[in-house]
Amino acid sequence: MTTTTPRAPALREFLRAPIAAQTWREGGYLAVTAVLALAGITYLFLGAMFGGVLVITLIGIPLLAAMIVGARGFGHAYRTLSASMLRSPVEDPPPFSPRPGALGFIWSGLIDRTGWRAIAFILIKTVLAIAAVWGALLFVVVSMGFAVSPLLWWLIEPTNYDENGVARRSLIQFGDVYLDTWAQMLMLSTVGIVGLFLAPWPIRALAALDRMLIRALLGPAARDVRVEELERTRTEAVEDSATRLRRVERDLHDGTQARLVAMAMTLGRAEDRIAAGEDPSELVHSAHSAAKEALTELREVVRGIHPPALDLGLGPALQTLAARSVVPVDLAVSVDPRPTPGTETIAYFSVAELLTNVARHSGATRVWVSAMSDGDGLSVSVRDNGIGGAVIGAGSGLAGLAARAGTVDGSLHVDSPVGGPTVVTLSLPVDGTH
Amino acid sequence: MRIVIAEDNAILRDGLAQLLIERGHKVVAIVGDATSLGTAVAEHLPDVAVVDIRMPPTFTDEGLVEAVALRRRFPEVGVLVFSQWVETRYAAELLAGRAAGVGYLLKDRVADVGEFVDALQRVAAGGTALDPEVVTQLIGSSRKAKALDALTPREREVLGLMAQGLSNAALAASLHVTERAVEKHIGNIFTKLDLPPSDGHHRRVLAVLRYLE
Repeated sequence: MTTTTPRAPALREFLRAPIAAQTWREGGYLAVTAVLALAGITYLFLGAMFGGVLVITLIGIPLLAAMIVGARGFGHAYRTLSASMLRSPVEDPPPFSPRPGALGFIWSGLIDRTGWRAIAFILIKTVLAIAAVWGALLFVVVSMGFAVSPLLWWLIEPTNYDENGVARRSLIQFGDVYLDTWAQMLMLSTVGIVGLFLAPWPIRALAALDRMLIRALLGPAARDVRVEELERTRTEAVEDSATRLRRVERDLHDGTQARLVAMAMTLGRAEDRIAAGEDPSELVHSAHSAAKEALTELREVVRGIHPPALDLGLGPALQTLAARSVVPVDLAVSVDPRPTPGTETIAYFSVAELLTNVARHSGATRVWVSAMSDGDGLSVSVRDNGIGGAVIGAGSGLAGLAARAGTVDGSLHVDSPVGGPTVVTLSLPVDGTH
Repeated sequence: MRIVIAEDNAILRDGLAQLLIERGHKVVAIVGDATSLGTAVAEHLPDVAVVDIRMPPTFTDEGLVEAVALRRRFPEVGVLVFSQWVETRYAAELLAGRAAGVGYLLKDRVADVGEFVDALQRVAAGGTALDPEVVTQLIGSSRKAKALDALTPREREVLGLMAQGLSNAALAASLHVTERAVEKHIGNIFTKLDLPPSDGHHRRVLAVLRYLE
């Protein structure tokens, strides 16, 4: 039993394949797209012919441009079919955005990457559609015919004559073998039935091929995806820096600036007392303390903008950070070659924020921080023995860190099961570029 | 003077209160947010309220909004807006309508205790006290700033000091000239700016500000 159990689902799937919804959906898809492929190749043929011929009259060039852009329509149709019949939704490529003016439209049309990719798809799909029709669909029809042939043979009672003029009661012949007995007909039927059980697999294979091609040629191109990603991370970077500046302003306004005002006020009062011939020493003492407090606060703010230790490298900076952490830190740093200042800054502030999180939320008694780099990238991880359950939520500190890492094509990974431990890993490029 | 202080920063709040008490004034209420300020002023009807702009809950301009409201509700109560920075729009909002019993000073000015208390007293008495910074910004942002080109540098200096709320005597002292000289400058300014001459120093400020608006 233990040996047959794993095989049972495969066998059942094989037996169920001819009646499985997936098979019929995908078979239907191949049938529909066979027609669509014919329409596609006709479109290209006519477009190329008229456009090509008319190029000498100059009308051909805009015609070609329009044809290239128009090929997007086929892309859209295939994407719709892919989503509904192949259960493989593919994102739309960016819409056609021509440059201004008629010439701009023509030029943008001629170099429209999405249009050209759709044309490439139509060409490949034509070949595949032929394979689908002449291979899979014909195979199905023939298998069906074979399967029901004894019934037809019995009903129609066909009569054929062989080379020698002998009457044969046969429906089908292979060369000079005439199938004219029940045994032969039942054998043929068996072959047909086996064929019907096999037929789903070429259908599925062709459908899988189409799925792949649609994804590769009719979805957004890698460059389009990249542009979208860059636009998103750029927005995040701008917002992140604005947020940080606001925090610095708040710190300065509420802390240092207020303390300095208070200090000036106290010294003003001291002057008053001196003028009145009274003892100002209490006020001077108070102003002195305020000056020291202002200095301490200012140092914190400066550290929040750019920690001076970071000029020496990530190692020394993380050392200072670890020493200041409330929860004891085990630090392991090995960064060679040295990452760019931008990467170092992101790594440093991420660790700073993660350590704050550990102290605030995790209840951990120990943290392990490591920063390792090789030629490919910098990997920073912060692990604690706390209660876990951290998630990258909208507006959470972790989401902010992930966004900041994204600005240099880095990424943040959080592994924090409830009950702990929490491991946050930050992967950053060493050279600051992709 | 009877004074209400609205300031959310504890260090500044306490320092300010002590300073005023030492100078023999009476601090009747100290509050930390704009809503309590309205309540405290309604209850005590002080001579003057010292109002921080940025206070809880949003830490943006609730102090200023309340200051403008107070000026409308209690015209007899002087309002001194007290901030760590100057915003032209805030100054314009605060001075809109009438420039009497109102002031807008940078918190830095508290360092010169004497001058600060003088300014506060001016506001309490229905006068004005504008920070030089405020005046500079108002003049700079004025639509009629071009007309000021006609003024000599000395006259512009006098106009600025006038706008801050200084009397002729104080002006003469601060410029180290005689009061007669100051009067002559002011006469020239009024002529150049087409302002009818009048007496009473805050009426001049009013006129100047109206011109600047």
